[in-house]
Amino acid sequence: MPEHEKLVVMVTHGPEDPEIATIPFAMAGAAVASDVEVVMGFQGDGCELVRKGVAETVHADEFAPLGELLETIKEMGGQLLVCSPCVKKRHLTEDDLVQGAEIVAAGRFVAEVTSATNSLVY
Amino acid sequence: MSETQIETAAVLDARGLLCPMPIVKTAKKMKELEPGQVLKLIATDRGSLADVPAWANSTGNELLERYEEGDAFVFFLRKGEEV
Repeated sequence: MPEHEKLVVMVTHGPEDPEIATIPFAMAGAAVASDVEVVMGFQGDGCELVRKGVAETVHADEFAPLGELLETIKEMGGQLLVCSPCVKKRHLTEDDLVQGAEIVAAGRFVAEVTSATNSLVY
Repeated sequence: MSETQIETAAVLDARGLLCPMPIVKTAKKMKELEPGQVLKLIATDRGSLADVPAWANSTGNELLERYEEGDAFVFFLRKGEEV
């Protein structure tokens, strides 16, 4: 069996582009299914995808629905970290975000990326 | 079509599921099996052809056989040892 691996997936696009919004969730879903620890980071318009009620509205052709992917990633232990200044700019609080989403700042993102096996940015 | 006679402990019908759900459902189903037991997976997502072998290889499971049956892809996966 392989050694422990960790993947950080950064999301910077929102629901206005369903395909590029969904691809990071597909990658994260495949990673949790492969016993890889997953941390998803949401910055900029990516924050919109973890607003309550938004993920369920996004479905890119030929991909699993984003809402289903989000639930799968959470269920299989993936972490959801959301950029503090980005949510503040959008007048959001933790109550506006899906359950399990954690608001963090740049230092935490750096710590996650530097301790990861690899990182992907979308 | 194959004439394989592999004894299977479970069957997962993943027809109609899109990327990456076939391997997500496979990973969940495999957790219900004991090491050495075999899962038969049926999928229609063409991405499964590359996904399933890669998933098996990276997770310590063994792809015993695969074949096409109509518009579906059939895989036999033997569960590896738990870590």
